[in-house]
Amino acid sequence: MIESITGGYLTAPITGVILIMIGLYGLMVKRDLIKQVIAINIISPGVVLYFTGLGYVPEGEAPLLAHSEVVDPIPAALMLTTLVIDVAVTAFALALIIKIEEIDLEELEGDED
Amino acid sequence: MISLIVALPMLFAFLSSITVYLDHDRIYNEVILLAGVLSPIPIFLYNLDNIPINSVLGGWTRISGIEIGINGVNIFFLLATLIIFPLVAFYSLRHFDKFDEKSGDVSKGSKFCLILLLYGGILGSFITRDLFNFTVYMEIASLAAIILVGSSSTTGSKFASFRYLMLYLLSSFFFIFSVGIIYVKTGYLNFHLIQQNLVMDTEIKVAISVAFTALIMKAGIFPLHFWLPEAHSKADTPVSALLSGITVKVPVFGMILFLMYTPIDFLTVPLMVVSFSSIFFGIFMAIFQTNAKKLLAYHTVSQMGIVLLAISVLDTYAAAHYAFAHALFKSGLFLGIGALASSHETKNLKSLSFRGSKLLMLSFMILSLAIGGVSPLIGAFGKHEILTELSGITTYLLYAASIGTLLSFTKLNYELSSPKKGDHEERHEFLEKVIVFLLASSTIGFGIHYYPKLNWMDLVFLGIAVGLFSVLKFSNLLEWNVPRFYEKDLKGLGKQINFYTTVFVILNSLLLFLILFRDALEGLLL
Repeated sequence: MIESITGGYLTAPITGVILIMIGLYGLMVKRDLIKQVIAINIISPGVVLYFTGLGYVPEGEAPLLAHSEVVDPIPAALMLTTLVIDVAVTAFALALIIKIEEIDLEELEGDED
Repeated sequence: MISLIVALPMLFAFLSSITVYLDHDRIYNEVILLAGVLSPIPIFLYNLDNIPINSVLGGWTRISGIEIGINGVNIFFLLATLIIFPLVAFYSLRHFDKFDEKSGDVSKGSKFCLILLLYGGILGSFITRDLFNFTVYMEIASLAAIILVGSSSTTGSKFASFRYLMLYLLSSFFFIFSVGIIYVKTGYLNFHLIQQNLVMDTEIKVAISVAFTALIMKAGIFPLHFWLPEAHSKADTPVSALLSGITVKVPVFGMILFLMYTPIDFLTVPLMVVSFSSIFFGIFMAIFQTNAKKLLAYHTVSQMGIVLLAISVLDTYAAAHYAFAHALFKSGLFLGIGALASSHETKNLKSLSFRGSKLLMLSFMILSLAIGGVSPLIGAFGKHEILTELSGITTYLLYAASIGTLLSFTKLNYELSSPKKGDHEERHEFLEKVIVFLLASSTIGFGIHYYPKLNWMDLVFLGIAVGLFSVLKFSNLLEWNVPRFYEKDLKGLGKQINFYTTVFVILNSLLLFLILFRDALEGLLL
């Protein structure tokens, strides 16, 4: 549907923005920590899709060899960095949740503010 | 050549990550930490005479490569980093030893590796002139900081780390989103080229506004400060000093980069409102804290508001100078409180005392005057520059902020000077005391160098602050406990993240509304 509205080349950025909105909804509404990490992991591909979609050129080819018209490779290259960071951060967030669940809540309640 | 300022700490961080697993004798970890934090200093000093320096890595053109540089603005950020990190590294050698048996599953070597990563990330973000490169270095520094907070053995540090992580990720994604818009509109990520190709239309204004909201959250400025007080107070003392002293300056430097290369005058009024709200909220919350580290953390919220105020009046140098001043006195204060907290084994102000050490007592008094902006200490330098840009009621609001800060630090010094159980000189580490004193002395030295003036108004402010403190003390108002809105459990943590995300979305929406309907609003008002 988005493709028919935008004529194709804005499909990825618009889908990205929709994913960001869905992730934000999850972060604003879901109280479960795992679900919040999942919400963050919905925002992340949303941003990646939005950014890489911006480099899209209609009828453009992959920028591997000399072509007359290629898509912009910079957004995709930059998003690789973001994806790598996301994987590491998700692992760390899940590890933290395990550690948080092991905490003695009575000790936490007695903690000096 | 100046790229080595970042490359060397990163190299030592890598070496450190190997020796953590190989080294049974911990001395190697300590040697690598010290070598890593000291290694950029000779390169910085060697290049000092050639400033301003600009170079593109690998000899590429500005269009293809990543540009780095040192100029009259970022030199203050670099100087603060190169002073504070080595001092904190020496401080942490003994500090982590004392807490090693309590530190659980994270070894001292791992913490040193993270400190070096934090160092490299911070230095990288201060010398880059590339928007995406800045984002990557800021992520490296923030991630190292978040893991360091979580690695503390303090009760509640994992909660603080999780909250910090989620809000950091949220702000990062929004920042990258705005970088995408700027790239599409200008075709570049290099700040000079962005400046040359910038056409200030609505999309660019929206991008800059979203970027600022994300940076405000990362800098811990009210109303997006939620992660900061807990993270800074629950972290190990050396980490708290690095977080409050230097790490929060990275997003501030991002704002300064935008100020230097893009017109942000359309944001001045909202930024000024946010900055004054942050200044007074931070002071108000700090006054009623009994946890000494949390008191200092709330003052970071307040002081970051003052740096944002300098940005809102479009004064790049005032922002850099005040950020430099804040780095010196806040890291000194955290290290001082840490020295007292480790010897008294509590962070409660009612149980802490500096009576056992004259050196710490003197240092606290100097640092308290410095944060209150009393001349000729370093805080007065940046404050004076900001005051020259203000007029009317805003001038008086900044005067009120100085009085409020001095009031809060009068309380701190009053509590610390009261006799407590077990005030023994020998319980404080000599090295810790000397490092705190060195930082306190640096606030005098740099203050006299940059602003060698005495302002009689400062004495009036000090007098008013002491008078107000006496009134509040005798009326028992200082004993008021700040109410807690969330349970200290998993459900409470989840609710907090829901609420904080909502506030972030509301602030973003408000700014977007102001940008999109500014003309209509002005028409209505006029």
